[in-house]
Amino acid sequence: MVVLSAARWVRSRLSDRFWRVQEVLKYARHFRGRRNRCYKLAVRSVRRAFVRSTKARKEKKRFLRALWITRIEAASLEHGLKYPAFISNLVKSQVELNRKVLADLAIYEPKTFKSLAALAQRRRQEGFLAALGDGKEPEGIFSRIVHHH
Amino acid sequence: RYVRQLQRLQLLFSPTAADARGARQFVEEAAQDFARQHPDVVLYVSPHSGPGPAPVLRAEYLNGTVREELIASKTSEEIVQLATKLANQSGLDIIRIRKPFHTDNPSVQGQWHPLTNKPSILNVQGPRLQPQ
Repeated sequence: MVVLSAARWVRSRLSDRFWRVQEVLKYARHFRGRRNRCYKLAVRSVRRAFVRSTKARKEKKRFLRALWITRIEAASLEHGLKYPAFISNLVKSQVELNRKVLADLAIYEPKTFKSLAALAQRRRQEGFLAALGDGKEPEGIFSRIVHHH
Repeated sequence: RYVRQLQRLQLLFSPTAADARGARQFVEEAAQDFARQHPDVVLYVSPHSGPGPAPVLRAEYLNGTVREELIASKTSEEIVQLATKLANQSGLDIIRIRKPFHTDNPSVQGQWHPLTNKPSILNVQGPRLQPQ
């Protein structure tokens, strides 16, 4: 409602203030204290909440990766392997599973995870033999690399 | 085979109100073509006489959700676009989907519990375990 002359503009009053206020308050309903009721306080809190939620999208990725790593570490320690040994040996055996999938396997498919831990352990032993044995013994079976062309 | 999730479209408008002009034009021109192009959607046209509520296009879906869209002061083409949009939707609520995946059976081998990787002697209860 654009009114051109100033005198008329002063006389027209806002009629949908309630709904404009509700648009902001609906995002503040679960806040604590007066911030969920009073518009003046709610505006500031809602704006900060939105800013924090956009910034948190980057941190969510970091947080979830740390969570997966914790879970994989706990599961591999149950099978007698530490996390760096587990991950490095899986990568050397060309098992390209990411941490998300490994954490889900550890929770929902414990036997599969046990077999993966055994694979990593075997590859680790073969790595030690190749490094320390030096020489005439044949290469380990699980150390062979498959080339995809 | 594709089953259209839209069950019926109800066009509620008043034949005399000024903002229902687009709805009236839609009914005169494009409603029949729309109904022919979407044979599995039932189109109800219900004019209520006299001054009443704002003209509305009500869509009912197979899972029971009812979605109402205001068509006040919209042209006939816009109403056609709106109707096709509603016809291509399913009745699920339009909120943020938390996860793009869902399973009813997440675990095939049995979910992990603290006794999965422990020796099964810990789980045995009974008179056999008491020391003699």
